Amino acid sequence: MSDDAPRTLVDLSKARRLDVPQLLKAIALTCLLLFITAGPGIREAGEQMDPGLDRTLVLAVGEPAGALGDVIPLHEVADEATAWLSTDDDLGEGGGFTAAAQDTQAQGGGVPPVTPEAFDPAALGEQAKPRPLKKLLVTGDSLAMPLDAELARRLADRGVEVVRDPHIGTGISKDILVDWGKLSAKQVKDESPDAVVMFIGANEGFALKNAEKRPVECCGAEWAALYATRARTMMNTYRRAGAARVYWLTVMTPSDADRAKISRTVNAGIFAAAAAYRAQIRVLDMVPIFTPDFRYRAAMDIKGKETIVRESDGIHLNAAGAELAADHVMRAIERDFAK
Amino acid sequence: MLFPTVEFAIFFPVVLVLSWALMSRPRAWKPFIVAVSYLFYASANWKFCLLITAVVVGNQAGAILIQRTDDENRRKWILRITVGFDLLVLGTFKYYAFFVTDIDRVLGAASLSLPLPLLTIALPIGISFFTFQAISYVVDVKRGLIAPAPVLDLAIYLSFFPHLVAGPIVRAREFLPQLETPRDPRDIPGGAAMWLIAIGLIKKVAIADYLAREVVDPVFAVPEAYSGVDVMFATYAYAAQIYCDFSGYTDMAIGLALLMGFVFPNNFDRPYRAHSFREFWRRWHITLSRFLRDFLYIPFGGSRGGKLKTVRNLMATMLLGGLWHGAAWTFVLWGGIHGAAQAVEHVFRGKIDIPRWLGWLLTFHIVCAAWVLFRSPDLGVAADVFSQMTAGGAATLITAPALVLVLIVIGLQLIPPKPMDAIQLRVQQWSPAALGATLFLVILLVGATIPDQGVPPFIYFQF
Repeated sequence: MSDDAPRTLVDLSKARRLDVPQLLKAIALTCLLLFITAGPGIREAGEQMDPGLDRTLVLAVGEPAGALGDVIPLHEVADEATAWLSTDDDLGEGGGFTAAAQDTQAQGGGVPPVTPEAFDPAALGEQAKPRPLKKLLVTGDSLAMPLDAELARRLADRGVEVVRDPHIGTGISKDILVDWGKLSAKQVKDESPDAVVMFIGANEGFALKNAEKRPVECCGAEWAALYATRARTMMNTYRRAGAARVYWLTVMTPSDADRAKISRTVNAGIFAAAAAYRAQIRVLDMVPIFTPDFRYRAAMDIKGKETIVRESDGIHLNAAGAELAADHVMRAIERDFAK
Repeated sequence: MLFPTVEFAIFFPVVLVLSWALMSRPRAWKPFIVAVSYLFYASANWKFCLLITAVVVGNQAGAILIQRTDDENRRKWILRITVGFDLLVLGTFKYYAFFVTDIDRVLGAASLSLPLPLLTIALPIGISFFTFQAISYVVDVKRGLIAPAPVLDLAIYLSFFPHLVAGPIVRAREFLPQLETPRDPRDIPGGAAMWLIAIGLIKKVAIADYLAREVVDPVFAVPEAYSGVDVMFATYAYAAQIYCDFSGYTDMAIGLALLMGFVFPNNFDRPYRAHSFREFWRRWHITLSRFLRDFLYIPFGGSRGGKLKTVRNLMATMLLGGLWHGAAWTFVLWGGIHGAAQAVEHVFRGKIDIPRWLGWLLTFHIVCAAWVLFRSPDLGVAADVFSQMTAGGAATLITAPALVLVLIVIGLQLIPPKPMDAIQLRVQQWSPAALGATLFLVILLVGATIPDQGVPPFIYFQF
């Protein structure tokens, strides 16, 4: 047979045959080894899943496997042995927001002082000399896509370095794999951006722990306050003590009613968080643009033409929606930076 | 529920054990396998299960009516209505927004208003695959190649979870006979199956996803930000990525089916060693290629009727094949390039004899250029990628790991397959304990390369 002759994927005529007990032994061995070396990982994967059958299934295995892993830490051996293959930094849950929470507690019952940072100079009639924008960080969760690419395209010929760093599936209230307190600090340390565009909120609504370590469920005022504290911590990091501007986009109303409730609370948290740093933080409200009166719509009028702006999942913006959002971001950037 | 996820790693062993436990009792096994396949599909969206049920019922009704009707003209009409129903399902869910947007654009230019509402309809995963399989079923019944299957068998054929979401497109007459008798519990090619699952995992997670993350996605998001060398490298990297992504899925699907006792047809045969486009389509997505041949190209007239008609038939088949991949002009143009290339080959076959190395060089590079259209979200980005290929600047994306992976993926298809076949055969002979331990090691190593954000969906899931 020549090398070019059609060939089958595997030659089943020569393949060794197993009977069912032999096959199940092989599969059982694989599962057992995974169970004892990856238990805590399975448990974490389950904990970060949205409620539902999948989560129940994964936790049914992950919890005993994780408990075994806590007693016999073979997973640590496996993690160390395979660490060289990982492309991620350690950005998992690890108290990235703890310091901020403690600061908030330290305020006690006193009235926190209002600082000059709470005022946008433009609102006071001051005219600051615009600086050139050299580096822009576009980050967030999947909402930041394809906005990141759209902004990068628009700024490509202006000599602006655009760092695109969306983290899909993450959330400020969902910090098992990516702790945004840690991640924001790392992004600022690595990139020192002049400006940051933040678009996050598709994966929120997870319980947050309060000062007494008690989990607080979404979406009451207590949860909103905890969320806002975390968002404010990130804002403070990104604004780099006044050296950078932050453009934080609110979440347009999703089609799903449960998600809509979460997004409303998230947006309220963003506004509350930004109030302390109006000098550097610009909240760009996407709700009146895409979903006036918090009413979901898939299509809207753009330049006199009805255009679909949302993806079919009822959460994300499509390319046309991202272009519209980018228009608003660009206008805000142009107000703060020289062309 | 993707194959390389924790959910599936828990789901599959449970299903495998129960499947073999029930295998000798088809009356229990068949409802069980339909139920777990539906459960698998419902993990994406339970509403999709209603759709696949409608497709099962509609095609079963068509098949039975065809069988019960003697009049050939009526049989043809029943077939047309049934296939029309499948195409309506496909068209509504997959192409509605595409056509409405374009109709709106045309009407807008003539200052007219849109007669249809602009809606975003969620695309049911795998709709292109199960509707094509449904069509193959009812057509094969009409052609007398198979008899209508029991409705439960048809439900298994269309929803069987290893091939539900991205193929391979198994023909009814290949799959349904395997349901007639229980699979033999002493005849499982376990080594071959576990080899395929391991290779599929490596291709998808360790190669395709790495190349996407580090090279392809950044360039196709903002081509203007990269040098010509980077853009060219990203084009080759995408050729490697899409091969590893899709053939990796297929390897896993075939391996999982083998573990359950079922044989699926091969879908890839070293496509980048093709010396012509005709040969490429005998090596790339083989099950789609033969579907397009049997259900479009030959009914259009095939190569009967002279060169001009053959060219027309080739172009029509490939344009529709392109549109099958996605509701966008980039896919139509991609199909058009493949159709035109095959048409040129057909016209000049026997007249110009080009050396084999030149045939390979031309085929490979035109395939890679066409992949730019396939990958680009719209024609504007594709144009940006092509124009950026001549831009100057330093190479920032050509790292040693990425370069090595691209060279391995393409290079392994060019060298004789004997060394790999020998390794594969050797692995297949291993004891069950060695196979189980090796699969564990592969999962552990491949799992360590998965980033925090998890495994992205297979490229062909969107089709």
